[in-house]
Amino acid sequence: MSTTEKAMEAFVHETGGWVAAQLEACTRCGMCAEACHFYQATGNPEYAPVWKMELLRRAYEQRFTFVGGIKLSLGLDKPITDEDLAHWSDLNYEACTVCNKCSMVCPMGIDIGTLLHGMRAGLAAAGDVPADLAAAVTKQVNEGSPLGMTSSVWDQRLEWVADEWEVEIPRDVKDATTLVVFSSIEVMKFPANVAAIAKILNKAGEKWTVSSKAREIVNFGFYEGSEEHTKLFLNRVLDGAKDLNVKRIVVTECGHAYDALRWHAANWIPEASNFEVIHITGVLGELIGSGRIKIKPGFFNDGGKITFHDACKIQRKGGHIQEPRDILKVLAPDAFIEMTPNREESVCCGGGGGVIAVKAADPVRYASFELKIDQVNTVSAKTVAMTCSNCRLQFTDSVDHFKLDWKVAGLSQMVADALEE
Amino acid sequence: MSSQAVLEFARGPFFYFALLFMLFGLAYRLFSVISLGWSKDRVVPMGSKSKGVVVTFLKAFLIWPFIPWVKNTFNRNPLIYIGGGLFHLSLFVVVILGTPHMLVWKSLIGLGWPTLPLPVVDWMAAVGIIAMVILLINRRIHPVLKLISGPAEFFAWLFVFLPMITGYMMTHHIGGSYEALYARHMITVDVLMIWIPLSRISHFVFYFFSRAIHGQEFGKRGVAV
Amino acid sequence: MPDETIKQGLAKQGVSRRDFLKLSGLLAAAMGLHAAPVEASGLPVSLNAPASGYQEQAILHAIETKQRLPVIWLEFQDCTGCTEAVSRSVSPSLGNLVLNTLTIEYHETLSAAAGFQVEQAKKDAMEKYAGQYVLVVEGSIPTDNDGAYCVIGGRSAVDILKEAAAGAAAIIAVGNCAAYGGLPKAKPNPTGAKGVWELITDKAVVNISGCPAIPEATTGVIAHFAVFGTLPKLDKLNRPLTFYGKTVHDRCLRRPFYEAGKFALSFDDEGAREGYCLYKLGCKGPTTYNACATIKWDQGLSFPIQSGHPCLGCSEPNFWDGGGFYEGQSAPLDRPTITAVGAAIGAGAALGIGTALVNQSKKKAKKGES
Repeated sequence: MSTTEKAMEAFVHETGGWVAAQLEACTRCGMCAEACHFYQATGNPEYAPVWKMELLRRAYEQRFTFVGGIKLSLGLDKPITDEDLAHWSDLNYEACTVCNKCSMVCPMGIDIGTLLHGMRAGLAAAGDVPADLAAAVTKQVNEGSPLGMTSSVWDQRLEWVADEWEVEIPRDVKDATTLVVFSSIEVMKFPANVAAIAKILNKAGEKWTVSSKAREIVNFGFYEGSEEHTKLFLNRVLDGAKDLNVKRIVVTECGHAYDALRWHAANWIPEASNFEVIHITGVLGELIGSGRIKIKPGFFNDGGKITFHDACKIQRKGGHIQEPRDILKVLAPDAFIEMTPNREESVCCGGGGGVIAVKAADPVRYASFELKIDQVNTVSAKTVAMTCSNCRLQFTDSVDHFKLDWKVAGLSQMVADALEE
Repeated sequence: MSSQAVLEFARGPFFYFALLFMLFGLAYRLFSVISLGWSKDRVVPMGSKSKGVVVTFLKAFLIWPFIPWVKNTFNRNPLIYIGGGLFHLSLFVVVILGTPHMLVWKSLIGLGWPTLPLPVVDWMAAVGIIAMVILLINRRIHPVLKLISGPAEFFAWLFVFLPMITGYMMTHHIGGSYEALYARHMITVDVLMIWIPLSRISHFVFYFFSRAIHGQEFGKRGVAV
Repeated sequence: MPDETIKQGLAKQGVSRRDFLKLSGLLAAAMGLHAAPVEASGLPVSLNAPASGYQEQAILHAIETKQRLPVIWLEFQDCTGCTEAVSRSVSPSLGNLVLNTLTIEYHETLSAAAGFQVEQAKKDAMEKYAGQYVLVVEGSIPTDNDGAYCVIGGRSAVDILKEAAAGAAAIIAVGNCAAYGGLPKAKPNPTGAKGVWELITDKAVVNISGCPAIPEATTGVIAHFAVFGTLPKLDKLNRPLTFYGKTVHDRCLRRPFYEAGKFALSFDDEGAREGYCLYKLGCKGPTTYNACATIKWDQGLSFPIQSGHPCLGCSEPNFWDGGGFYEGQSAPLDRPTITAVGAAIGAGAALGIGTALVNQSKKKAKKGES
């Protein structure tokens, strides 16, 4: 089977009534372009979300619709070619974080982000995935983690974190209430985050555990758009949870992993609905709200202004919009300041959706980060807090790149630092 | 063929055919989509899906159209908001609140309602026509719209524009006898009705799906729509 | 008697020179000729030129010299309403006198003679005045079943018409039936009714449409032919432009209410009492060309819209089938029944579901392969 045929097949497979109704609703008004940070940053018309999903639409029209079939046979529309797939691969993997901001401005309310995920499914089926992203996926398939966090590396790192921060990290505790699955970004690059979460949960007296089987929450198959890989990685987490017989799975500061496990897994793997899935932000809100942990009010009041960056997958697509604000208002009642736009309308960091893993995307990634720089500078914040380590990776990398003097902070870490003894 | 005969054809058999074709085509489009299979959403919601749907429709009909500038994207491309908005407003005023059009609805569905004075409707029609022209120019020069527009978009524009301009000419008796103008208007209306199911002008049918999906997706996550 | 001039005929009746001049002016006005006195036309005086002009002189000359005009008046599928209208024209100095400029050789309703006698009289007149007489037709002509639906003296209307038309100097179809088929032609048109000009194609037929035709229009055209020996300028539907040049809507006294969007919604509501526009009650004024709003009826007393009834569009072809009389002018003529709508939607839905099932099977087939 040719690659285009594989792509077409995947497109067709993706297209049920849900997708078709939305493809039919599009009026091609082009408004979505104005919402896209990559379009805003570069002015490249090809970055318009509607154009990024062009192949999905063409596949639908050619295969499923009467008018589309006629147009194809009359030569008014052309079959999808390998060149098309390669071109749209660049557009989708390099200049889209699947942040779904476009859906907020679409006058028809089309859930463009999800349709763009469908685009990726076709591109992944055809093998048109950027080499570095594909390599990361292969690494996750073989080693269990795209960052090479093998079983032994994971072991050593957690051992080291426990030692370094003098915090207990319960491992493979059967019948624990909560299974916490960290992302390799945290374990490898932001270990303080791991320590912080451990500290908070211990303080709250939560019966929690980590699992050596479910040690990686990151899901590069979801970035790639391959259902097969996505399910494989989800199953690793779910199997770990099943083995330990836990009630709920806490996703730590990782956006897309939360999106995949919380909002999609149950539709691919029915057993996923046996577990409550919650993001660490939700846990923090819950613990503080119920008084199980106490934080020192005004702890971060004196270090300059603090603003909060809303992550696409945790806030806009995740629903944890209010908790971080409630927490920050306690921690820094005077220093906390909102950027505009914020909350569900927030501007994406520019590094999500696997973009940061694709080297070729660096120029547009940095270009789009300039929008964020403007936003933060407008409120002259010195610290940017966030709940997603993928955003955090993009922030720390870009802060280096642009030589900015901001502090980039994970919310869990801030909470851990401000815990009342 | 006299204008009167053309008019009778356009108001009679041609209209009859166009109307039935439109209904047939829209039913075809609608059912070919809704019968394509909808997988059940097994995800446990965080907020209420139905509340999301209700809120998004209320906002889309009652709030956003009247305060578009609160949307951040408005400032980036106000033309498309204002042009598109005025076009749809004009469409509503002329087609629903214009006396002759109300009588068409009345004859078709047996229900009438009060209408607006002719000058009001007439000015709104002019606004709609100007909006259409501006939107066309915008489509020709805006880089994104240039990229995503093909013959289908321009045909759709043309077939929507013709009834508007012929209707305006008819009201003002420009370019021929009343029946000739009326006949031209009716023919373009008939052509439009045939074109609707063949094109994206049918978005008004699928709008309710995509808007409801939007409400569901955001409502289920407990996020404001 | 056709042998004497019109003036001689008038003099015999005691019409003075002064009355005769007045008549000329009125005739000119009735025919819509330029620079004529305007009382009869109903147009404001200020819009017209002084009373005595070139046209009036021409009429004067013509009436003094021309012979009286023989007229043969045929009735087919009609109600005699147009005859009624013309004969009861109460405008004494116009209607009655104009009738005196003619000699009506044959008219089923007006002739004293009857039966074979009057048929013979017609035959004689047609022979005597061959190529000179004016043929006036009232009523539509049935064509189905060899014209069996209207037979006079054992001959079908089609035959009678064709025979009379052959020797006519001018043919005038009076009333909507004669002009365009009128009521008899309304769907389903059981008799195959047709208007005169559909059957007589080798000669110009003047259509004085209306139900009934405005009598001043009928007499005006006949007078025009009597005076000038030619037919007046006609529109595309062969109606004299003088009377049918403007729509009823354009000259309607309720027009300002149309513009202002003030409408009567029923025949007994406040709007109706206030004299608001009758458009929503189905008025066909905007597409109806006739002089009702200017000449009006009964000596300019009133016309339907003035009296509170919407225009039915009776001077237009197919007005019986041109939408309901009380239904908006803009309403479509053919409305699908609920069954037809259901069938269309049902067919679309069935086809749509079929397509979707085929598409679903495509999806499944592909899924199975991979």
